[in-house]
Amino acid sequence: MGARRAEGILESRGTQARQPARMQSAVQCALLGLVIERPSYGYELARRFEHTYGELLHLSAPSYIYTALDALRRRELIEEVPGVSAQRLPKPHYQATEKGRAAYRDHLLAQMLTSQRRRHLFFRELAVLAHEPEAALEIIEIYEQEYLKAAKVAPLRHGGPPDTPASFAAELAAEDRRLGIDGTLAWLDHARRRLKILAEHSNAAQSEPR
Amino acid sequence: MTLLALENVSKAYGRGSDRRPVLCDVSLQLDGGELLAIWGIRHSGRSTLLRIAAGLERPDSGDVRLEGESLVGHGADAVSSRIGYCRRSFGPGDTGTVLDRIVESQLVRGALHEEVSIRARRALLRVGAEQCASLRPSQLDGTETMRVAIARAIASEPRLLVVDDPTLGVDPLRRDEILLLLRSLADEGIAVLTNTDRATGLAGADRALALGDGELRGEVHPTLAPVVQLRRPA
Repeated sequence: MGARRAEGILESRGTQARQPARMQSAVQCALLGLVIERPSYGYELARRFEHTYGELLHLSAPSYIYTALDALRRRELIEEVPGVSAQRLPKPHYQATEKGRAAYRDHLLAQMLTSQRRRHLFFRELAVLAHEPEAALEIIEIYEQEYLKAAKVAPLRHGGPPDTPASFAAELAAEDRRLGIDGTLAWLDHARRRLKILAEHSNAAQSEPR
Repeated sequence: MTLLALENVSKAYGRGSDRRPVLCDVSLQLDGGELLAIWGIRHSGRSTLLRIAAGLERPDSGDVRLEGESLVGHGADAVSSRIGYCRRSFGPGDTGTVLDRIVESQLVRGALHEEVSIRARRALLRVGAEQCASLRPSQLDGTETMRVAIARAIASEPRLLVVDDPTLGVDPLRRDEILLLLRSLADEGIAVLTNTDRATGLAGADRALALGDGELRGEVHPTLAPVVQLRRPA
């Protein structure tokens, strides 16, 4: 989905009556996603959180999951439903509300736009160095090496079906990263060419007799 | 000891005002068992670089050495059995099986008649394409074509394998299988030189270098990179 379309969706959503305040907490967003994926109770959600996001999101304390669930419930993004168990005292389950599902979709779109904005910020910051093309070229050089390094250490996988949802998620993430590197390497090549032209012009201007 | 060395290689195509430099003073070294991947956009000179490295094309200046022996001075024939250049094309016509074609390529290289069939089958088995032996080249899909092409190149048990864009035409879901194969060949001691215009083709490489405007840009360790100077000294 293009950024423009995503912005359009957000704008059109903004005109509707229901416009929940955007979630700021990454942990709450991730937890909401897990509840949407499969309604469950606190302990099970905490285990899935650790399994799915353990490397990416740090919890200040394991009990923060319960704090986050409570925050989501107070904002009506999730609701408590009675658990079903004939064996023991049923645990209360959490399931997402329509408001929660909408908030999660908005969060994902906002994530995408934030990433685009960061890149545009970088482009502007680099463009400031247009009058110092050689300095910008050095930055490009280092940047490129980092991307080459990341590309060569990307994990290789056989083409068979993934073993588990987690390995499938890892495969999708790796592919996303590799395809992103593709575009960045081509962009770096373009930026280098443009900066070289700028450097040549700059050198020619300096060598002209005054 | 370095297996392959390109020393200050330059190459240009065209004449007069149309003359266009493709490679400018390119140097690189490759050791046995190393997988080196060159990244470059189309027309960056990456295929020319590989053909020169395989001794199939002469540079305008500079030298190419395989185990210390110059390919430029003596031609590629002298070292052809030590270099496997991977060709996807099986030439005109669609006669004969994959096995026949690999056997033919070995006979052309001067291999002994009694050896070639065994070598060809062994190579097909090694690349996981034994089921393709009795097929005609036109019956292969993109991934099989690549596997068979690699089999043909390694049938002569070369020290250096050169593969131009190994993932081109390969089903994206099976792309990594080809890269894993190249990685495994390198792990067995063959030096592998590849190129690609996709970052996805760099995975598994020991080194990845970028080629642009005919210049090869080597790996830089950021900690050792020069301090970026934002202002020229007055």
